[in-house]
Amino acid sequence: MKCILNTGRSVPQGASVEHKGSEEYLSVVSICFLNTVDMMMLGIENGARVMITSPTGHVVLSARLAEGVTRGEIFVAIGPYANHIISSETHGTGMPDFKSQYVDVEVTEEPVRSVGELMEEIGGLRYDCT
Amino acid sequence: MIVHDVVCPFCGCLCDDLELEVEGDRILRVQNGCSLAEATFMNDTRLPAPIRRTTNGWEEISYDAAINETADILKDADRPLLYGWSSTHGEAQSAGVHLAELIGAVIDNTSTVCHGPSILAIQEVGHPGCTLGQVKNRADVVIYWGCNPIEAHPRHMSRYTTFATGFFVPDAQRERTVIVVDTRRNDSAGIADEFVQIEPGGDYAVLSALRAIVRGKDSVIPKKVAGISKEQLIRVAGICKNAKFGAIFFGLGLTMSRGKYKNVRNAIELTDELNRHTKFVISPMRGHGNVYGSNEVFTWMTGYPFAVDFARGIAFYNPGETTAVDILRRQECDAALIVASDPGANFPRDAAAHLAKIPTVVIDPHLNATTALSHIHIPCTAAGIDAAGTAYRMDGVPIRLKKVIERGYPDDADILKKIYHHLNGERGP
Repeated sequence: MKCILNTGRSVPQGASVEHKGSEEYLSVVSICFLNTVDMMMLGIENGARVMITSPTGHVVLSARLAEGVTRGEIFVAIGPYANHIISSETHGTGMPDFKSQYVDVEVTEEPVRSVGELMEEIGGLRYDCT
Repeated sequence: MIVHDVVCPFCGCLCDDLELEVEGDRILRVQNGCSLAEATFMNDTRLPAPIRRTTNGWEEISYDAAINETADILKDADRPLLYGWSSTHGEAQSAGVHLAELIGAVIDNTSTVCHGPSILAIQEVGHPGCTLGQVKNRADVVIYWGCNPIEAHPRHMSRYTTFATGFFVPDAQRERTVIVVDTRRNDSAGIADEFVQIEPGGDYAVLSALRAIVRGKDSVIPKKVAGISKEQLIRVAGICKNAKFGAIFFGLGLTMSRGKYKNVRNAIELTDELNRHTKFVISPMRGHGNVYGSNEVFTWMTGYPFAVDFARGIAFYNPGETTAVDILRRQECDAALIVASDPGANFPRDAAAHLAKIPTVVIDPHLNATTALSHIHIPCTAAGIDAAGTAYRMDGVPIRLKKVIERGYPDDADILKKIYHHLNGERGP
């Protein structure tokens, strides 16, 4: 299903933003909010996993119903999951298309990866000081 | 011990009426703050000591070793990038600009992926703004366009608009009309008197339609503009024209969607149009606590608010070329110093990936996603918690952040000054 990816802040995202390795942060920024009808079209319920694909790459997120989101749009809190599939093209402004990335949404059985795993995929290495 | 009038450094509201109960190096209770303030002060988990990446792991190193190695990395770099700056005080930002000038670096702050486009628009057509105090005491019409204050600036409505009692607006909830314009029916829309739901990417067209109606050209407006009926557009324009004092607050819904700075320019020009009928102002909802301060400090030191390139020995500014995301996407920089921010989490993947390919140093109190991409991470104080300094509120008012506890970490401004002195043969800027 073709959609426009919209991103933005939320209170839980802001409250856990300095604890990016935490379960709380992961559970907040890896949620994909969809319209009721789009959830029905995909045949999924809250908690199902969806693969979001853009020309830049793909990422697995956990689906959740949101009345406020219109059909054809998905909303993901700002963070490493949304950014995993947003293009770095800025059209000469310095600003990427954080609110207007065209994506494809499909149902998947693959698990949601951790922030550390996403960073390791691009050449990083997790540090655990706990 | 109770500390009064504490400033929360988290978001651009910089609420300065918090009360903190403090015992030694611990904060026990936060009063008057929102849930973001509470998390900022109560869950302040730091990286314990500087760390350096080894072949297959990490090792703890001393502050001196970390600072010396950082200076060496910057000295050896041909095109270093210094990025971040919005979650620290003006003193560290100033040290950063001096360092950038010394080594011929590009220095950029987080407004590049936030309200950078708003600044481009303001450079084109100006900024008819005012302080939040004016809005609180005078505004009877408030428009939130492409922003969600309930989630991103939780006390904005209670301190300055919807629920704030003002001198000329004594019964705020009854006397203020609140309009929310967004693509999503967000939480803020739930308490608005009028919600205008735009189709994604339709902001520019709706702003143009409102400008036409305010000019008396209703006849040129089609039945629907970006999903909004002509009737609603005429009603909204009427509310604005009949206001005694109107205030537009806009967020990333304008700066990040199609049109970017042209959306903001159109919103400013709508404000201009409305000023032919009544008093209207417009201001961006700045995100990070001191992101406005980074624009102020950069501007008074270099002449430009962000994306400043010192490679030519003078300050050069060209957003789209000297902005951090573009420099990383082009894999142009060969070293990076990241201060008080987290591009690993907040930049598109391709841009963040380049940080892992070059020697990257992070100076930040907290472990974050960029840590994993870095070569060295140096923990420091957090401005407003264990370091005092100046920050600028979203309306440009400078506010002194307090030091409420001592945690034994060095100030990031001092770390930057040591790096500077190391590179400059112990001579000051």
